Parts: sequence; C-alpha cells; structure tokens
Amino acid sequence: MSDHDQKGKGWADNPTFIRIFIGILTVSAIAAGLAGLNPAWHNPHPHFAVEGVPVFFAIYGFVAFAFIVLAGQHLRKLVGRKEEYYDERE
Amino acid sequence: MSASSIFSFFAGNPAIIMMVGALMCIATPRHLASPILLIATALSAIKLSMLGLGEYGAITLFGEQITTLRLDPLSRLFAIAFHIAAALNIIYAWGQKDRAQNFATLAYPAAALGGVLAGDMITLFVWWEIAAITSVFLVWAPGTRATYVSGMRYLAIQVLSGVMLLAGIVLLFRETGSLAFDFVGLRDASGAIKLSALIMFLAFGIKCAFPLLHTWVQDAYPKSTISGTIILSVFTTKLAVYALARAFPGTNELIYIGAVMTIFPIFFALIENDLRKVLTYSINNQVGFMVVGIGIGTAGALNGATGYAFSNIIFESLLFMAVGAAMFRTGTSKATELGGLYRTMPLTMTFCIIGALSISAFPFFAGFVTKGLIIDGAGGVNIWIWLTLLFASAGVLEHAGIKIPYFTFFGHDSGKRPKEAPIGMLVAMSIAAILSIGIGVFPEPLYALLPNQEQIAGYHPYTAYHIIEQLQLLLWAVLAFAVLVLIKWYPPEIPSTNLDVDWLWRVPGRALLSWASGASRATWNALWAIFTGRIHALMARIYAVHGPEGQMARSWPIGFMALWTAVLLGFVLALSFLG
Repeated sequence: MSDHDQKGKGWADNPTFIRIFIGILTVSAIAAGLAGLNPAWHNPHPHFAVEGVPVFFAIYGFVAFAFIVLAGQHLRKLVGRKEEYYDERE
Repeated sequence: MSASSIFSFFAGNPAIIMMVGALMCIATPRHLASPILLIATALSAIKLSMLGLGEYGAITLFGEQITTLRLDPLSRLFAIAFHIAAALNIIYAWGQKDRAQNFATLAYPAAALGGVLAGDMITLFVWWEIAAITSVFLVWAPGTRATYVSGMRYLAIQVLSGVMLLAGIVLLFRETGSLAFDFVGLRDASGAIKLSALIMFLAFGIKCAFPLLHTWVQDAYPKSTISGTIILSVFTTKLAVYALARAFPGTNELIYIGAVMTIFPIFFALIENDLRKVLTYSINNQVGFMVVGIGIGTAGALNGATGYAFSNIIFESLLFMAVGAAMFRTGTSKATELGGLYRTMPLTMTFCIIGALSISAFPFFAGFVTKGLIIDGAGGVNIWIWLTLLFASAGVLEHAGIKIPYFTFFGHDSGKRPKEAPIGMLVAMSIAAILSIGIGVFPEPLYALLPNQEQIAGYHPYTAYHIIEQLQLLLWAVLAFAVLVLIKWYPPEIPSTNLDVDWLWRVPGRALLSWASGASRATWNALWAIFTGRIHALMARIYAVHGPEGQMARSWPIGFMALWTAVLLGFVLALSFLG
C-alpha cells in the first residue's frame, strides 16, 4: 500500500477534457440517432413495429437509464441499513 | 482393470489432470505452487485438444454404464472457457503462498470442468459436490469469523443443491432407467410437471442463482480473498448454466426466470457501495441473459446463451480483476473509499474500461457479438421479454459499464495514490482484455465453437441496423448518465448494508431457530427434572425400606427368631396331625 494523501488535478479532472468528452459523446449519440433515420439501415426482419421508429432505441436507452437511477435509489429507503447491521446480529 | 488401464483412465480426463495438479501443490514447496498449477492447466488443455468429439472413460457401476467423459460442441465450449479462466486466475494470483487457496484455485475449476465433461448424472453429481466442497475453501480463506459463518451458509446451500440433484437423479432413473446426462425437460408428454425433473431443475437453479435462491452469491463471494472472489465468480454459476443448457433447453419457465434475473440485480447493484458486491449482482444479471436464451431454446438463442457464457467468463473476470487490483493496492473495494485512481493505475483503469465496454456490449467488444443472438431470440417470444432485455442492457451499462470504472478510477478523488497493479495481475488482465477485444473484432473462432453451426453460419453481428440500434441504446444511456451527473441527480454512494431475501434466514430465521433451540432445551430440562424427581423419590422410598435405617434392614433379637421357629414348627405339627 503506497497511498499518499495528495490531492491533485489529473487529466480526467481537467474541465477541457470533460467538455471534449461530453462533446464527443453528444455528437456520437446524435449521429447514432440520425443514422436511425435512414430506412436502409433498419432491421429488414423486425419482430415489432417499434423497431421501425427511427430513434426508438435512443429514447428507450435514455429513459431506461434515467429510470433505473432515479427510481432505483429509493430502494435504499426500504433495504438500506448501517454497515454493521449483520455484524451486530451474527 | 490393469494398472495401465487405470492410469490411462485417469490421465485421459482433463479434469483429473487438473485435480492432480491441485493436490500436488499441497505437498510441494509453496513457491512452486503457481508454476505447478499453470503446468497442470496446460497439460489438461493439451489433453482436451487431443480428444476428438466423442465419449470416453466408460465404466460399469452397479451394473449401470457410466460415461465419465463426453466431449461434444456444448461441453467443449464450456471446457475451453474454464481452462482460460483457470489459467487467468493462476496468473493473476501468481506467487500466492496459501496452500488451501492454491489447492482450491485449481481443484474447484477441475471439479467444474469434470461436471461439464460428465456424460452421465452420477459423474455429474460427484463433480457437483466436489465443486461445492473445494470452493468453500476460497470463502473461508480470509480466516475471519464473518467468512467462516458465510462459508457455512454457502456450504449448506451448495450441499442442498447436491442432495436435490441426487434425489432428482434417483427419481429420474426410476422413471426412465437411464443415467445419461441429456435432455430432461420439465414436463412430460401431457404437459404436467415431472417431480424428478422439477427437483433437478431447482438443484440447477440454486447453483444458477435463480431469483430468491441467489443470495449465496452476494453473501459468500465478496467475502473471499481478492483472487478467491474472481475464481468463485466464474465456475459454479456457469456450470449450472451448462447443466440447464444440457437438460432443460426450450423450457418456457426459464424465459421468465431469466428475465427477472436480468432486472432485479440492477437496482441492488445501483445502491451497493462495495464494488465487488456490485459485480456479484452483475453475475446474477448476466446469467439471467443466458437463462433467457436457454429458455427460448432455438438454435440461435442457444448459440447466444452459450457464446455469451463463454465471453462473459472472460470480461466479467476482467472487471473482478480490475477491482481486485485496486483493492490489493488500497485495501478497500468500497466506492466511498475509492476514486481518482486513474492517476497512478492507468493500465488497470484501461483494462477495466475494456471490461466495461465488453459487458455493456459495445460494438467491437466481446459482449456485442453474442448478446444480440439472445435479444433477437427474445423478439420471437413476445415484446415484453424483448423490452425487458433491452431495459436490462441499459442496467448493465449503469452498474457494470459505468459504475465500476467511474467510482474506482474517476468520481471523487479519494486522495489515494497507489502503485500500479503487480505484474501478475497486469499480465492476467491484459490477456483478458485482448481476448475481450479479439472476440469482439474477430468472433469467427468463437462462432466455430458454438453448438449449432448451421444457425451461426448465417449470422452476421456487424450489420448496420445491429450497430446503430446498439449504439443508440448505449450512447443515449451514457448521455443520461452524463446529464444526471451534471445536474447532480446521480445518487452519491453511501456506506451501508442492503438487505436481500437472505435477511429472512439471517435475522428472523436465526431468531426463530434460537427461540426453538431455547424452547426445546427448556422442555427437555423440565421433562428431565420430572423424570429424575420421580426416580429420586422412588430411590428414597426403597432406601427408606431397605437402607441401613430401613424397616427391612433392622436386626432381629434371637428370642424373636426362636419364637417364630416354634410357631412354624407348631404349625407343621398341627398340619401333620390333621393329615
């Protein structure tokens, strides 16, 4: 263990890097969404009609992720206990 | 059986070669353990590669034919994956000195390999139980009371699975007269559930960590040592996946069981602070995808399930290895105590991100080329299962794709500046990372191993629609993460214990058992007191009559005896006169 309690800015903390990262992410995500507008790039053998909606997967991914995080955190209220919970009972 | 045929019988089974290697490292100097384990794994792999597809090691037991070794496309796929995982684990833990752990590091994979290669159910049962017993040494390895208690719970559940498997085998043998380990199916021709099959199905389900039967994974695995957790993460659940693929393909119930498995761990993983425990929930989630594929049972879905198992073994191990390396250097795997390690552990961080991209199924990584087969198969079931798997894919991205690398290497700066991981760990992680990318870019060698060649020949993962759909799903999910972090809606990690269904037997169950134990003890004591009281009273009565002070023990005067003698003689005289 060679921990040094030094605080320091690394490349990932650099605001420019963060801006570039988010910029590339946003552009890539929009590009993926726009690519879905081309009917030639749709599933030729779809199982369901929603697969033909150009940005269905983008919307579903965004909403699913947000739902998991925003709704899931409330699970803590139901099942969350202090760290020593079982230590004190076993 | 001659000595040479006995030798060839044992040397002909790769699992036994591995097991001998594990046993050897108990008796040899500790510094030779890792080389011995690796050589044994290599010899086992060579033996496996020399075996053509077919059945070997036939013996007769109690008049029944036992096939101890069967190599077909399904068992071969898992056998190869188990060899890769065993080798990676040995390299990762290179130089490990603990004899018990070194033994279990290969004995446990050997047992799992033996189970996968078993051609009959008796052989499967034997290896199934050996896997349970050898793996518990890894749970116990840290040597604390918590790991001991957890190991006992783990062992009880694993042995329960073994006992149920045996019961299922016996009932099935009574019905069919066969011990062959082949398709069983949950229902008979009339559609009714067979008891024998149900018991066997649940035995597999315990080891597969079906919902409500899953908590032994979260209870035991994260308590093991750093390398122990990685080894444990691979074998038991994948052996069970293999067993389900062998005995219950196309079982409709598996689709819904698997779908639940993909969903519920996502929420537990979200709120879990211990990143190794997050990954154990990830095991449940990942195995869920495989279970759905087996339940669908079409050629494509089975290819997807087994192929996904193969690649998952590699990238899930990679994630465990990366978190383990961070833990090795910092002493913790808790998200609240980690963060900012990218500064001094850049290689580990890179490997972790490769693992994260693979498990999230980004194009050109291992998960992408096999997961699509399962989701495509789900489309043939109904829209709800299909949407569930898409939802679960976003969940995988959240807890394994983002949370693991983000909270370990980025996130808040913990101030820790540890050294890069040791060379053994780096080598193992680099091999796993290369394989994760290699399978993603060149899936053909993996496809060539899948059980249904006709189906996979017509499958092309890198079609425009598949790439676009997957990128839309994943990139917009990552975008959601970025937005939630920027607006500070992403929940912070909190040190806590999150209750799962095992709370039922760990707290109220334990209290009930404690009460039952106390009540039975008190009842016994009361009954014993009544019994002993009666005995004492009886003994006191006997003592009072026959004891030294008793009436029967007093000394009689001689005159009294003479009087009674005269009375008796007079009585006899009177009788003789009468006669």
